[in-house]
Amino acid sequence: MPDRERHAGIDAAVRGEVSRMISKVVRRTHMYLALFVFPWILMYALSTLVMNHRALFVARYGEGPIPFEKERQLVYDGVFPENADLKTISKQILTSVGLDGAHAVSRRKDGTIAINRNDLVTPRRLTYSPADRTLLIEKMQPRPNALLERFHRRRGYATGYGLDTVWAISVDLVIIAMVFWVLSGLWMWWEMKVTRGLGLAAFLCGAGVFVLFLLTL
Amino acid sequence: MTYSHFNRRLHLYLGLALLPWFLMYSISSLPFAHNQFFEQRDAAKGLPLWTLRAERPFDEPVPDSAAGLRALGATLLKEAGIDGTSFGAYRQSPTQINVYSYSFWKSTQLKYFVDQKKVTVEDRRFRWDHFLTGMHARGGFEQDGLLQHSWSVVVDIVSAAMILWVASGLYMWWELPGQRRWGWLAILAGTASFLFFTLRL
Repeated sequence: MPDRERHAGIDAAVRGEVSRMISKVVRRTHMYLALFVFPWILMYALSTLVMNHRALFVARYGEGPIPFEKERQLVYDGVFPENADLKTISKQILTSVGLDGAHAVSRRKDGTIAINRNDLVTPRRLTYSPADRTLLIEKMQPRPNALLERFHRRRGYATGYGLDTVWAISVDLVIIAMVFWVLSGLWMWWEMKVTRGLGLAAFLCGAGVFVLFLLTL
Repeated sequence: MTYSHFNRRLHLYLGLALLPWFLMYSISSLPFAHNQFFEQRDAAKGLPLWTLRAERPFDEPVPDSAAGLRALGATLLKEAGIDGTSFGAYRQSPTQINVYSYSFWKSTQLKYFVDQKKVTVEDRRFRWDHFLTGMHARGGFEQDGLLQHSWSVVVDIVSAAMILWVASGLYMWWELPGQRRWGWLAILAGTASFLFFTLRL
């Protein structure tokens, strides 16, 4: 066999081997990424269904915000630093009662301080009255649809809490995974010659409907 | 056709058909997750978000019920020459009703100042991040119209498809005995992380 033909044969074999290796890496990454983040995907899917049918839950639970119920009340003896801002006060109170975490705080007209602790499973409202130093802790009534919606809407980067930042990174990972699944899915589809025709038809149908919505809604 | 074959094809073709939605939901999650970045970027342009288009006299009683408020919103939109869009009517204060009309490409806000007997019409400047988040957040069956409902039906289909992809993906993984050990590790690591977040956030 002449050298040129032998080299061409080796080149083709190497190319085929590299292609198979890339294909395998793409397939494995597609699968393992999915196996790791599937709880997030299930949560986003279920919460989307819940939000898409919010009217059903309004009919069941009624309109308006979810009511809070009293959990406990205590006299808060802590002393705040002089000229402490609201964030410092709220963080000190939350730490004292073992509830530190992402929250929002505001001072009402009557001087009481309202802290909304954004706990994912059990959101709480803490109301501190400086006049008599009482601290009222209330928890939100549990509702499965509200839990899913809180999950769906949870952001993390701006809270100043490390755990929330890690959650936000996990959400970014899910976004990257979704884009990767689209690209790797297209790659895998194109590799299977037998599915090209029907696959193209499915893709064009979906894209056509999407463009129709884009132009009319 | 075996069940395994059917499962693989369903996973694939459903993915291809719903690819635009899946891609849209992923990309549009970025402005939600990095809201501050997009807001700061836009603020640097120094452009107003809303532009006053018109100001007109208007005098109608404000109903108490949600349905009545929505009917008033429809009247206000008709007066402003806006028809067929999705909208919401909200009581901003005891003397102000806001009506927000939106499509993927254009949003308009009407403010009815009850005590001043006037209504203002403002158009929102187009922003790509708002275009994406608007598409992401669109859903529900509260709006009238076949197209509006059709979009919400597709949102249901995409959600159901995501559950199906998880189930069919797990089935396909289980069919690969060589991948079970590492697969279990990925599943357990992901599930444990998710549970940790659920209990600690």
